[in-house]
Amino acid sequence: MKGRQIIIISLVCAVVGLMAAIQFQSVNEPTQRDTRDLFEVRTQIQVEQKKQQQLYQQIAESEKIIEQYQEKTQEEQIATLKNSIEELKRKAGLTEITGSGVLITIKPIFFDGEAGQLYPTITPELLHRLVNELNSYGATDIAIENERIINTTPIRYVNGETYVNNHALRKVPVQIKVLSQNPSRLLDYIQVSKSKDYFAIENLDLIANIKQKLVLPKYEGMINVEMLEVNEIEMSGEQ
Amino acid sequence: MWLPVLFLLIGLSLGLLTDITIPEQFSDYLSIAVLAAFDTLFGGIRAHLEKKFDERIFLSGFFFNISLAACLAFIGVQLGIDLYLAAVFAFGVRLFQNIAIIRRLVLDQQKNSKQK
Repeated sequence: MKGRQIIIISLVCAVVGLMAAIQFQSVNEPTQRDTRDLFEVRTQIQVEQKKQQQLYQQIAESEKIIEQYQEKTQEEQIATLKNSIEELKRKAGLTEITGSGVLITIKPIFFDGEAGQLYPTITPELLHRLVNELNSYGATDIAIENERIINTTPIRYVNGETYVNNHALRKVPVQIKVLSQNPSRLLDYIQVSKSKDYFAIENLDLIANIKQKLVLPKYEGMINVEMLEVNEIEMSGEQ
Repeated sequence: MWLPVLFLLIGLSLGLLTDITIPEQFSDYLSIAVLAAFDTLFGGIRAHLEKKFDERIFLSGFFFNISLAACLAFIGVQLGIDLYLAAVFAFGVRLFQNIAIIRRLVLDQQKNSKQK
């Protein structure tokens, strides 16, 4: 009788141990596993390497500017400073810019039908989507009609009209000028972009053409930098 | 006394080596079942030391407690109340009581064997 008791307790012990071990394993299992295969990992490495290269390039450029400041005479220093300011202004979109790119014309699509058709309008959502897509396709500078798109450009819906840079956008047809390092590639992207479909839903057509010389106006407003703060990172290592 | 420990180790290593896992949503149930099993186990050890061990009570208690705890947790999930806490509380208290009694019994046994 005693032996049987021990065996039963032992078996229950084994079951308890099994349950505890399973519970332990289930809780300890990492929630997200890395399921990427070799190819995906390689692609990721390439992307990171590209990023690294870009960063190195930026560092080199900055160091060159620092050298210019340190080595030259006062007049030359001022000249370098002015160059830097010009460069920054160009990057911020405060100067007129000329270059090759793509001219997109947004036109209404009309179709014959019994029922009447409303005159199509461009909604801010569509413009947002288009601008985002253009940026991801490698656009360097964008202007909608005469409004230059900068980093802080608002595209809003106000009183039934679409406002860009706090100015009302006129009715379609509307022209969008896009500068790019590689206009033909940008054109290809636009031809097959999702935006074309989204615009078509709203009875709008995107017609894109490559132009060798496009003039983009400068940003007219004041850039509000009140909310900007210098990100102070403590320097480490050699200075 | 070494056999239960051996079996416990066998069970643990079996569980760890076979790489069995359960889905996350059931881990609540299993945790409470483990607690219920521990409670029954210590109850059994206590009864064994008190020489009142009944294998029918032990086995039925083992399965009944586990299913009751799982049921409680299930109802709790359905009702949106953390009912499994009730089971955790009940089993936790009993676990401590049982272990305290086991300790006293073991100490008493040692005392008796010394006196002899």
